Amino acid sequence: MKRLITLLLLSLSISFAQLRVATTYPWIGELVKDVGGDKISLYVIAKPTEDFHFVVPKPSHIAKLRNVDLLIINGASLEIGFLPPLIQQSNNPKIQPGRKGLLDLSSFVDLIEKPAVVSREMGDVHPEGNPHYHLNPHHIPLLAKAIKERMCELDQTNCGYYTSRLEDFLKRWSQKLKEWDEGFSNLKDLKVVQYHKTYNYLFKHYGIQIVGTLEPLPGIPPTARHLEELSKVAKGAKFVVYEVFRDSKPANNLAKVIGARAIVLPHDVGVEGVKNLFDLFDVILERLSQ
Amino acid sequence: MKKLALLLGIFSLSFAQESLEKPQKEQAKEETQKSQPLDRSLQLRSKFDDRLMAMQIGTFRQSAFLPDISLIVDTSLLGRNIKDKELEHLKIPGLYHKHENAHGHGELNKNRGFNLNYAELYFYAPVDPYFDLYATIPFTEEGAKIEEAYAVTRGLPLGFQLKVGKFRSGFGRLNAQHPHAWDFANQPLVYKVFLGEGLTEKGIQINWLAPTPFYLLLGAEVLQGENEQSFGTNGFEIGGVEVPETRKPNLYVGFVKTSFDIGSLSVLTGFSYAQGKTRIDHGEHAFAGKTKLYGFDLTARYSLDAVRYIAFQGEYLYRDQKGTKYEFDATTEDLKKKQGGFYTQLVARLDKRWRAGIQYNLINKNDITDKNLPKNLPAYYAMVEYSPTEFSRIRLQAGQNRAFYENGKRKTINEVILQFTFAIGAHGAHPF
Repeated sequence: MKRLITLLLLSLSISFAQLRVATTYPWIGELVKDVGGDKISLYVIAKPTEDFHFVVPKPSHIAKLRNVDLLIINGASLEIGFLPPLIQQSNNPKIQPGRKGLLDLSSFVDLIEKPAVVSREMGDVHPEGNPHYHLNPHHIPLLAKAIKERMCELDQTNCGYYTSRLEDFLKRWSQKLKEWDEGFSNLKDLKVVQYHKTYNYLFKHYGIQIVGTLEPLPGIPPTARHLEELSKVAKGAKFVVYEVFRDSKPANNLAKVIGARAIVLPHDVGVEGVKNLFDLFDVILERLSQ
Repeated sequence: MKKLALLLGIFSLSFAQESLEKPQKEQAKEETQKSQPLDRSLQLRSKFDDRLMAMQIGTFRQSAFLPDISLIVDTSLLGRNIKDKELEHLKIPGLYHKHENAHGHGELNKNRGFNLNYAELYFYAPVDPYFDLYATIPFTEEGAKIEEAYAVTRGLPLGFQLKVGKFRSGFGRLNAQHPHAWDFANQPLVYKVFLGEGLTEKGIQINWLAPTPFYLLLGAEVLQGENEQSFGTNGFEIGGVEVPETRKPNLYVGFVKTSFDIGSLSVLTGFSYAQGKTRIDHGEHAFAGKTKLYGFDLTARYSLDAVRYIAFQGEYLYRDQKGTKYEFDATTEDLKKKQGGFYTQLVARLDKRWRAGIQYNLINKNDITDKNLPKNLPAYYAMVEYSPTEFSRIRLQAGQNRAFYENGKRKTINEVILQFTFAIGAHGAHPF
């Protein structure tokens, strides 16, 4: 009987001990899984096939956010179009801005392309800078550490477990970093056109030259006139890259005109061929190296 | 002896000199040591003087706490087959006729030609760790109205949330949405006849998000109940008969909403109920009684990809009203009204910038004691819209309204609206 009770208590405490985490994007969810293992439960709001700026604020997300202890977001206004009403309607005090249960990862990296002035005539410009910072593999360890710190703060009993898992992850990551540094540095001075300024952190870090974007301004869909102008300056570009959720037509059209190849680059975990964060950079490197 | 004294004197002098010299040296040494701090204190001194003379203007500056502010402007160009003056005399039998009591945005797209529907100020900021505050103040050419001004709790436990102030009631689907978020230029016919510009009332709302894996929201509201189409609180005197004001607050609302996903399909559905006393005074006639309003809504949105979707939305409203009609000649008549209708619409987003949609409205129940009123009152609209960004929209809407009557004869209204909506500043995202 005693054993039964302790077993019952144990199972209860285990189910209670699970830290409930939600993230806005799949790549953040991957980091949480890498650090949290089986001590956490995870809910990811956005699908990798959704445009990261325009995730549908479905009520089903609200139901999930009601019960989480920690919500980890990309920040830098990337979620501004869908997340505030979800948080507001979640009726969950833990994840309101200003509480420990909301972690904004953008504050842990130096954002690039921070505009001196902002105006909506510049298109969808984020005052904080370019929000797609996760695509520099050197940022990932920092972000993983931040996630671990916050998970430790909220769930001290499992802190040792998180720490050892983080160390393991960091070890594997730093090995791959050497591989990627080598691989991407071979691509130095490669010329690419991209749909949106999604890959700027990656390209700028490795000296890959961005000769233009298909969007005339951030968030403004490609126009015929802009593509025509782009075709003049983008000669010599090897690739026209776009994310999986974009319209492939403008990329293909421009590629044809300038003699480049239009390719889909993964931007997040969960798209074809990308099962985890390691795959994400492997696949990008592989596609750009072809 | 004199010599000795001189010698002593010289000695003592030299000694004294020496003794003087020593501290002088020390002092000099100390001074060189001190020179830096001395300079620094001088610096500080001059800085201090500067500061003393400067105007201290920043002391109470709080601009860092500026709330999110935005302005939404809605303007339209309208063509209609009925003159504006004529339109004012048209009635929807048993349901609607025009009277001067509109609040909130006032009537949208009212006149032929150009309309400035509203320029709406919106404010949002957290009050403190415990409350968020929202205010919506539409300006029309006639002046400003406070459409919404309410606080919402941000820290209640167990999934509860409290809202207090003046706000759009959670009744139904469309009611809580601002006009700039509507898919068509005007509110649906059932809303117009039962709720006018919408159920926007002073009061308090408590809602509870159930700890279920799917979305389940329960809400209850106690509202003042001044809605000019179905409720009203003020007493009146007509034909020598005096009708007292209602109990205040007057209106009780309850709603339950649930939502679930099936693959790329998201469904949101709800049931709403409102109950209150009714006092409607139009001068030459008036009505006093009690009203129950039932609402059922269903939204289903199917996403084709990251951009395109097809969305169905429909609401059925049913009103059960009992009371007495008072005429200015002191005659009274006991009335029982059972009226209902719906709208259904299909809107598709075709690409990042284009949307198109159709809406069908029908009042199909219009039973009032001893009266033979038309029971088939439809209106239909189609729209195409082009949104260069999330902050601007151009919408072309065409439609026909066959619900209005003049002297017992149906008057068909044909309408074309070119509507422009713009938003500047910091405007919060819209919920689903």
